[in-house]
Amino acid sequence: MNRKRSSREWKWLARTAWILGLLVGVGALAAILAPGGLNPVSLLSGRDGTWESMQSGGVWRVGLDPSFPPFETLDKAGQPVGYDVDLARRMAAEWGLEAEIVAIGYDSLLDALQADRVDSVVSALPYDPRETKDFRFSPPYFEAGIRLAVPAGSPIDDVDKLDDHTVAVEWGSMGDMVGRRLKREGAAIELVQVPTPVEVLDALLAGDADAALIDNVTLRQAQGRGVRVLAVGPALESNPYVIASPYKADELGDQIAETLARFQENGVMAELEETWFGPPPAP
Amino acid sequence: MSERSWKIVSIVSLALILIGLLIWRPWQGGRPVSLGPQQRVETINPKMGVHTRLTDEVEPAKIKRTLEMVREMGAPWIVEYFPWAYIQPRPDARNWVHADDVVNHANRQGLTVVARLGFVPEWARPKGTTPLYLDEEHFEDFGRYAAEFVTRYAGKVDYVIIGNEPNLALEWGYQPVDPAQYVRLLQVVYPMIKEANPDVQVLAGALAPTLAPPGSEWGVNDLDYLQAMYDAGAADYFDILAIHAYGGVFSPDEPAATDEINFRRAELLRQIMVENGDSHKQAMITEAGWNDHPRWTRAVRPGQRIEYTIRAYEIAQEEWPWLDAIAMWVFRFPWDQKSYQDYFTFVDTDFEPKPIYEEVQRYARGEAQ
Repeated sequence: MNRKRSSREWKWLARTAWILGLLVGVGALAAILAPGGLNPVSLLSGRDGTWESMQSGGVWRVGLDPSFPPFETLDKAGQPVGYDVDLARRMAAEWGLEAEIVAIGYDSLLDALQADRVDSVVSALPYDPRETKDFRFSPPYFEAGIRLAVPAGSPIDDVDKLDDHTVAVEWGSMGDMVGRRLKREGAAIELVQVPTPVEVLDALLAGDADAALIDNVTLRQAQGRGVRVLAVGPALESNPYVIASPYKADELGDQIAETLARFQENGVMAELEETWFGPPPAP
Repeated sequence: MSERSWKIVSIVSLALILIGLLIWRPWQGGRPVSLGPQQRVETINPKMGVHTRLTDEVEPAKIKRTLEMVREMGAPWIVEYFPWAYIQPRPDARNWVHADDVVNHANRQGLTVVARLGFVPEWARPKGTTPLYLDEEHFEDFGRYAAEFVTRYAGKVDYVIIGNEPNLALEWGYQPVDPAQYVRLLQVVYPMIKEANPDVQVLAGALAPTLAPPGSEWGVNDLDYLQAMYDAGAADYFDILAIHAYGGVFSPDEPAATDEINFRRAELLRQIMVENGDSHKQAMITEAGWNDHPRWTRAVRPGQRIEYTIRAYEIAQEEWPWLDAIAMWVFRFPWDQKSYQDYFTFVDTDFEPKPIYEEVQRYARGEAQ
């Protein structure tokens, strides 16, 4: 049935719409003002405000803790140097920007990102699935987890072939934990537990152990020094390093992912690794 | 619809809501888990303990598994936190479900519980303050909570700690750190606890080891604070001194020194007890330990952490007759902290034992190291 609305109904509709509008407005304001809230540029334009302000300022503000060589440390002049520093600068250059390195304590890196003190964190940061609600993580750019390492020429090319062999680990370390786990799961291995990672590699090279379980940062550093030890198989306990950006920075996130993929393809990542860890061993 | 139809719809709806609630049982905080048979801890060192962190572990099955693993490791003591704000969120409300779970499972596993009481509910503090802020106006409220706690768990929990690290501004709710005020808290709460359950032993102190200089806004040196507690008349208002004894980067055999934070700093606190006529009282280390984070400046290598931890248990047993127990921080977190804190734990969040767990277990079983 069709009928004209009375002026009373119109008044009611108008008042309701006004109240709803006010509520939405207050909500939007709260979303903008809240810590880590919406960027007004993104809100109005639908674009990534972090990426927009990077473009307008010509700078990518990158947070890192310069206390973890070779990824990030300070040189004699007090300037930040390292794998992550170079990676950030190369990426920024790809985008026609300059990387501004901001030194921040490791435990405060993500807080600084949330507080908009930096645009991204590039600091040997392990992936944390619990934080994906608040941060956008890049694909991994370095696997720092536990690898099975063997001397060049070893017949062991997989964890399944460890039975009846000796495996060196740093006592109490994550490698030790993985070794104990393999034993619980039925692997017939004998763990050679030594006090330091250096002694793990020494044991391997001296023939006191047939294989080693060691983190990939230590392993790559040793390889870079010319130690003829190879990693075989995938990481047995993964610890991937990623770049973190604000959750709302979708354009920046896409750009980081695309650039990392491009760097993998065109050899930039291999070049960075060789620069900061030394050349990989010949297979 | 007719009136009869409306009635049918209403009754069916109510029945569905009731069935839903019975299945969900939101007031129970999770499905109850059987306590299982009474267990006892097998160990060569009856002073061994750990600080569990079950406060935010919501699944009863995981509470039980945590405590089973503590027993299996060979530690008869646990220190656990029972936040006042969780149990009494409003003056007229009580929720003992989680606390009951922790206490009952711990008892069934043969563990002795040391209950740390604190964490002030919103109704007992001014707006804008932290949950660690407790002013004198609410000392009696806290005392009533503590008295209810020791009454409810009479025969199940015989030790309670009053507060935590009151010599730090952070832990004192950012009020000026004041030993005399902490002693006034003890003077209010101690008699209330004793009246409710005379068998309970009240622990005080739990001071943070710190070299904070005089006048620091962050805290007061723990040795100075303890002496100031005695000066303010604390001696009659606690039974056991709670001690925090972190080792930092030092071996537990590093000698005690007033200008150093190491494990044997506990001996300096003990000396202050003796000098103030409290040699007849015992002490208990309610937090201690070493950290093996690869990037934290106060960490040691994982193997050192194992060695130092076991040696600390040995020192407690062999050299310190004045110490009842030593609880290492921290057995397990319900979820990863993603910081250096994860490197204090003995088992992962998914209950995978770290090497330190297995090595401490071997020690507790008397197996050669």
